[in-house]
Amino acid sequence: MKPIKTIRSAQKPAKMSRAERIETKIGHILATEEELLPSSGFVASVMERVQEEAAAPPPIPFPWKRAIPGIVMVAGVFGWGGFELIHLGISKPGLPTLSSLTLILQHLPAAAVVYTESAVWISLALGASLLSCLLSRRLAGRGGLL
Amino acid sequence: MNAPISAEADLADVERVLAGDIAAFEGIVRRWQKPLVSMAWRYCRDRGRAEEMAQEAFIRAWRGLAHWRHESSFSTWLFALAANVYRSELKRFPTETLPLDSAPEPSGPASQHHALQEKSWHEALHRAVLALPMRYREPVILFYFHEMNVATAAATMELPEGTLKARLSRARALLRHRFPHLEDEHAAAEFFALKAGKEAAR
Repeated sequence: MKPIKTIRSAQKPAKMSRAERIETKIGHILATEEELLPSSGFVASVMERVQEEAAAPPPIPFPWKRAIPGIVMVAGVFGWGGFELIHLGISKPGLPTLSSLTLILQHLPAAAVVYTESAVWISLALGASLLSCLLSRRLAGRGGLL
Repeated sequence: MNAPISAEADLADVERVLAGDIAAFEGIVRRWQKPLVSMAWRYCRDRGRAEEMAQEAFIRAWRGLAHWRHESSFSTWLFALAANVYRSELKRFPTETLPLDSAPEPSGPASQHHALQEKSWHEALHRAVLALPMRYREPVILFYFHEMNVATAAATMELPEGTLKARLSRARALLRHRFPHLEDEHAAAEFFALKAGKEAAR
């Protein structure tokens, strides 16, 4: 058991309020808690885990050198896409705007609009798949398509 | 067996470990096993879990030895690291505790069972500490673990001393409201314990 240190309020018991006396009791109980002894095999089990940790190969670092060109390319594509959208959004005489593109779509037959939209989404999905495939191959250290 | 704690021995072992001598870490574990397991016990009051948490703290210390900057003492660094491990372990798998309002206050003293009565008060109070919200529970645990040293407890929690004192004060108030009869009952238990001691001495 640990020795109980003198608590400020315990020095002047006559002047203590009821609340202070209860807190002092709480302090005494909490301060006299016995320590827990580790089991006999504790050190051995810790050292076993340390040996395992030491024997394990170091974690593979993220291949930033290989990943950076891909990240830059993806950022470039998104940046270019954003720029084009903003560019189309600004109405300039002689240039097609977003509203004018919507108007063109409105004049096309309904079936053609559905096909066009589908084609755009499919080509976007194919492009994204190809890009992610190329990126993952590059990260894995294999170049080319095959 | 527990080796005596010494800052020089810690520093020497750390240097040996960093130089590649894995076995030197055993000296650190031997010196600090009792404090770290005891500290974990106060966080969860489960022997098996306390040892698991202390083991995890030692593994983290092993991994992070190179990051000890010598700005603080090894013990301060180790206790702060252990407190972080225990806190996150208890967040992942909280201990089963009653809400503070449901933590039972023991009934009146029974003269024949003063020792049991005393023990039940102690257990009830420890259960109530575990039922405190974490922001109040941890200052209480660390303040009494560090033998009522505010500065060490604050360093372990990486908090300013003023914040720790404020949280301690709030925690004490919560416990006091939970155990309004503690003073009377505890005094009675002490009286009966003293009486029993005198009778045994005759």
